Amino acid sequence: MSIRKVLWLGLALVLVLAGCGGAQKADIVKIGWLGPKTGDTALWGQAEYDTLVMLVEQYNAKGGIDVGGKMHKIELIGYDDKGDSTEAVNIAKRLTSQDKVSAVVGPQGSGEAIPIAPVMNEAKVPAVATTATNPKVTVTESGAVNPFMFRACFTDPYQGAVAATFAYQKLGKRKAAIFMTVDDAYSAGLTQFFRESFTKQGGQVVAEVSFTAGEKDFRAPLTKIKASNPDVIFCPNYYTDVALSAKQARELGIDQVMLGGDGWPSENLISLAGTALEGCFFVNHLDFNDPAVADFKNAYKAKYNKNAELNSYMAHDAFLMVVDAITRAKSIKGEDIQKALKTTDVQGVTGHIKIGPTNDPVAKDAAIIKIVGKEMLFQEKIQGQ
Amino acid sequence: MIQFLQQLVNGISIGSIYALMAVGYSLVYSIMNFSNFAHGSVIMLGSYFGFFAMTLLGLPFGLAFVTAALGSAFVAVSLERLAYKPLRERKAPFLYFIITAMGASIFIDNFVIATIGPTPKMFPPIFAEGPIRLGQVALGRIDLAMFAISAVCLLILILFIDYTKMGKAIQATAYNMKASALMGINPNMIIIVVFGIGGALAGVAGVLYGMKYQVFPTIGNITLKSFIAAVFGGLGSLPGALLGALLLGLIETLVSGYLSTQYRDLIAFIILIAMLVIRPSGIMGKNVEDKA
Repeated sequence: MSIRKVLWLGLALVLVLAGCGGAQKADIVKIGWLGPKTGDTALWGQAEYDTLVMLVEQYNAKGGIDVGGKMHKIELIGYDDKGDSTEAVNIAKRLTSQDKVSAVVGPQGSGEAIPIAPVMNEAKVPAVATTATNPKVTVTESGAVNPFMFRACFTDPYQGAVAATFAYQKLGKRKAAIFMTVDDAYSAGLTQFFRESFTKQGGQVVAEVSFTAGEKDFRAPLTKIKASNPDVIFCPNYYTDVALSAKQARELGIDQVMLGGDGWPSENLISLAGTALEGCFFVNHLDFNDPAVADFKNAYKAKYNKNAELNSYMAHDAFLMVVDAITRAKSIKGEDIQKALKTTDVQGVTGHIKIGPTNDPVAKDAAIIKIVGKEMLFQEKIQGQ
Repeated sequence: MIQFLQQLVNGISIGSIYALMAVGYSLVYSIMNFSNFAHGSVIMLGSYFGFFAMTLLGLPFGLAFVTAALGSAFVAVSLERLAYKPLRERKAPFLYFIITAMGASIFIDNFVIATIGPTPKMFPPIFAEGPIRLGQVALGRIDLAMFAISAVCLLILILFIDYTKMGKAIQATAYNMKASALMGINPNMIIIVVFGIGGALAGVAGVLYGMKYQVFPTIGNITLKSFIAAVFGGLGSLPGALLGALLLGLIETLVSGYLSTQYRDLIAFIILIAMLVIRPSGIMGKNVEDKA
């Protein structure tokens, strides 16, 4: 190696080090975001990104966030993951190794959140997923907790517990039948938690009947449910099956109230079901008409001139969790923030968020929505037990 | 006991839809000796014809049936002219017919998905809500209508086949196409008539199915069950198709009602296989050879 080359190399090294040192000196905390800005789910990703931009502006206008007595401005670094798992892994690597962010907000889908878990664990940078409800985001197949993965939403199965609590305490039902989809993780998770919660509170599950996905005639299993004579029927299924099975249930003379989870809400649910679901209830993450979300909703509307999506609210709370953790950790190091996230206990717009041992919010408020005519009306917020 | 009666009613109601669909398979098989797997797609189209006749054109329920029957008959005959006739003229092996039918079916299904979209649609309500009760057994109004309409259609078909000249000609062609052609029966004419009748019944079945459940592009997949019913009862035999369809509906309902939905197809197919081993021609089938 010639002297000249060594000198050039040395110069380059000095420049690089100086560059890094320079960035570190200014009081900045970098927060990453990943989510889809293109593709089918672009609407939701954009809503999240817009929310974060708005929040970062608000915080920076007040001087940033307090890290151990020193104000730090927030720098938001967001990338489009196209709703694609490979892309999400690449971005997670880039955010942690190249951009060296302190924490990440997102991704939104379980399909992206599950594959990035190893990257976050290795880089020791925490990520707070927004709407990834699959249990495997935070807890692996083998039952181990992914230490650096968190989420702002409740998990799929938790909705089962919420529905059971609502049925037992608010509706005063004591005998429940469960009508579930065979071999479907979502349906099975909700069923399990519903059963556990309902029986623990003193109720009785009188029938647990399943049907195969793609089925169009539900009368045989429904007749079984009718014979068990329940007070209430829990249907943790997706809206097309819900609509069709509800119609057939009514034809068979089953007029009990039906309950469901977030597989129900859809533009098409009521047009497919007609009047079969009149007076029935389902569990959702939040309701847009809930007075608690009004402030954020109006601010968002004022800035972007469009309505906030579910993802806007969830991104708001995920961001809130990160900021809260940084403030309490008095550090911008990923590991310190992760420790602080473990003890999160904040009031978000979507409800009270207290992180439990599995890095999921525990006993989070859920919205109960009632179907009346062609409307889906907000009833109340309750917690699952 | 009430549960058993209710399941019996459910089973007969499912069976009567299978029956209307199975007849189409049987009719074509009896003349052309191959299974027209595009039949399911014609049923699906019939369902959409009826749906659009009611929603877009605002036709009353009865006319929607007529529209669906004519539309499906037209599709079925066109299919025969465009896809099967060239094969017949070249005396292609039966395997080619089956593959062509499957190809046509995939084409039609995807055409509907691409143009109309995959979201299920609902027929406008036709009957008053709420079941008719016989003691504690609930009879759906749609089920009763379905049973009645299926029965009337099938009765007309049986009378037509047994008592008209055209019906006799169809029977003769089914028995021996060459010999009947020598007697002055035009086989091309018979084939068109058979596809037309099969198509019209498919249209009626499609509307009934759509009314009872939903209208969606993959209805054809479910009609495979009715093909099984046709084989079960004996392909090529009309009473066989009816019996097979009712039995399949009952077996399915009783298995999912008393054991579990997961075992339903398993047991239904075991019975089918056992049937074919013991009686290869089905319950009422005549010819044993080549049941493709």
